[in-house]
Amino acid sequence: MPVIQFREALRAAMTEEMERDENVFLMGEEVAQYNGAYKVSEGMLEKFGPRRVFDTPISEAGFSGLGVGAACCGLRPIIEFMSWSFTLVCLDQIVNNAANVRYMSGGQFKVPVVFRGGNGIAHQLGATHSHRMESVFARVPGLVVVAPSTPYDAKGLLKTSIRCDDPVIFLESEKMLAEKGEVPSEEYTLPIGVANVERQGADVTVVSYGRPLQRVVRPAVEHLHADHGIDVELIDLRTLRPLDVETIAKSVAKTNRCVIVDEDWGYCGMGSGILYKIQKRCFDDLDAPIEYVHSDEIPVPFSHNLEEAMLPSVDRIVSSVKEACYR
Amino acid sequence: MPQLSDTMTEGTLVKWLKKEGDRINSGDMIAEIETDKAVMEMEVFDSGVVAALMIAEGDKAGVGSVLAVIATGSENPADVKKKVSAAKSQPAAAVTPASRQEVAATRKPAATATSIAPNFARASAGEIREPDNVGHGATRQQAVAVPPLPHEGNGGSRLRVSPLARRMAEQQNIDLHAVSGSGPGGRIVRQDVLNIKPASRSTTAAAPAPVGNGQTQVIPLTKMRSAIAKSLQASKQNIPHFYETIDVDVEDVVKLRVKLNEILEPEKIRVSIGDFVSKAVASALLRHPAINATFNGTEVTRYGDVNLGIAVAVPDGLIVPVLRNIHLMGLKEIRQRSADLVDRARAQRLKQDEMTGGTFTVSNLGTFGIREFSAIINPPQVAILAVAAAEKRAVIRGDQIVARTMLSLTLSADHRIVDGATAADFLKTLKTLLEQPALMFI
Repeated sequence: MPVIQFREALRAAMTEEMERDENVFLMGEEVAQYNGAYKVSEGMLEKFGPRRVFDTPISEAGFSGLGVGAACCGLRPIIEFMSWSFTLVCLDQIVNNAANVRYMSGGQFKVPVVFRGGNGIAHQLGATHSHRMESVFARVPGLVVVAPSTPYDAKGLLKTSIRCDDPVIFLESEKMLAEKGEVPSEEYTLPIGVANVERQGADVTVVSYGRPLQRVVRPAVEHLHADHGIDVELIDLRTLRPLDVETIAKSVAKTNRCVIVDEDWGYCGMGSGILYKIQKRCFDDLDAPIEYVHSDEIPVPFSHNLEEAMLPSVDRIVSSVKEACYR
Repeated sequence: MPQLSDTMTEGTLVKWLKKEGDRINSGDMIAEIETDKAVMEMEVFDSGVVAALMIAEGDKAGVGSVLAVIATGSENPADVKKKVSAAKSQPAAAVTPASRQEVAATRKPAATATSIAPNFARASAGEIREPDNVGHGATRQQAVAVPPLPHEGNGGSRLRVSPLARRMAEQQNIDLHAVSGSGPGGRIVRQDVLNIKPASRSTTAAAPAPVGNGQTQVIPLTKMRSAIAKSLQASKQNIPHFYETIDVDVEDVVKLRVKLNEILEPEKIRVSIGDFVSKAVASALLRHPAINATFNGTEVTRYGDVNLGIAVAVPDGLIVPVLRNIHLMGLKEIRQRSADLVDRARAQRLKQDEMTGGTFTVSNLGTFGIREFSAIINPPQVAILAVAAAEKRAVIRGDQIVARTMLSLTLSADHRIVDGATAADFLKTLKTLLEQPALMFI
């Protein structure tokens, strides 16, 4: 099976879908002439021409609204944000319009738009460019929120997202774009709303999504197994809304313990919402309080060391897992 | 220091729940007191500000001594404290009554046997000849209100347990009060429940630690053990016990029990043979008031209500919680209330009035397979019933040997008050009721 980069998987998904459906188009800052700020859309302008791959002004509020309108009129826009931090200026378009048009028009309009780009803390981008936006969108009925952690999932989920008739928030990370993984050359899609139990285990369920999985969660799981004899069942959520509570509940019924890891701030963070659903559903199966490993609740520092220090680490995950296991 | 049990002469102040300067309201708990039987919370019946705590945590104090002083109304707590401290070395009376509220005085002395049915005190002063004088009809109007069953769970006893461990314990019928938790703050977790060996899942106390070969082990008596030693010795020395045993055919009770438990299945309630015996005892006692009585050495008091003491084995000891007004209860309620009392007895969480005021006691060793035994009377009561195991026995019916489920009941009675024929009459009624349970509805 070919091993490709995360960015190549995204490009392959968009390319295949644009070949499949002429209503699909890509717009965003520097996606065309510059071949993408992070080279995700490299070669796509040449392949599809300026009618279907085009650059926008630096005006997220404007072009996200353009996308919502185009989607209402029957097109399937893919809108790339250089960073999800910039979408704070287009919450009106996404949260008010994209999420609600279908409901408020009584189903006369659908909004099949995909908003995608880098989410969260990348590397020394400072307090205003490091926002983790998942909890802002995952709480909104009418939106779908997807957060893949591997090139394989990225491709399969992006294709499904483009075909989805509801607005999809597709969360990537600049730091993940160069990560490599096996991706089949034949066509495939992955369903939205289905989590992946990527490692079976007996002692504790660890729930995570997106970038921290590769950065710290998978290493922590190996460490726990090798050095502490703790057998983790690892769940990659892949979709944050709708949340696959079934898969988590099945796992917690087996392990009786749960640890959530994300890079959000803890209070009102993504994990808090997940935690609520798990405790509500699994209360009688829990032998210990659910642990939540998250970033420190501070503005994101520019300093490399401080940025590292605020993020969940292997050590913090190991110690929280041990706590959940009464070890 | 309130008298929290019949035998209590002094108590240990385990913990202050309020500190000086705290505002308290009538009904608040101010302290935890350890008696010879249990640790209990002490309620305050006045509102005000705690002006002075007069003894330290861990100290003992005699019944009736001052534990704390409360400033009420417009009194300044600091002034009150000053006054109390000045008077501390003097008798309590040195403090002017207007300036203080003695916590001890706010709690009435423990209910004595006579106080549970005060209106009968005078009527009972002499020997009552007609059972009707303490008839059932009279009781109904002035029956003591039966407290509501406590909520499911154990909020009252503050047991910490993980949701999973709680569910496992429920499914396996394990009493979590007997389990010590290994989690944070003593939380009982799954592993603690799994660690319970099948043997100790029964209703008895955990097996004692073995003493090694050639070694000895000296065990000082706990407060509870010495109270038991003292009161049982006094009972056996002072009361001329006599014993009568009767064999009861409980075949019909067994059948009825199966039927009722099928009906109660959705409610997860299972009545026991012992519950039927309790029910029959209550009915029989109403018909034999001479047995449902107490004796203080000069007077016999008979009761129109049945407050049944149930002997409960607890780790290294015995507690007799009292099921009040059991004669008004159906089997289901008897089961639920006795289960609750037994649970809380094991957790040392009985309230004072749940351990006093019994008019008769049953001791049941049926679950141990005991064929027959006799019990020691629990004074001031005049009799106690020992309930053995229901078992299949070969008995003669007509001229045939047949297998029947039989149960031996042994009554121990105080011969100063109860004669052999009186006891036998009571046992005969009990036998009839258990052999034809339908009679209990008449």
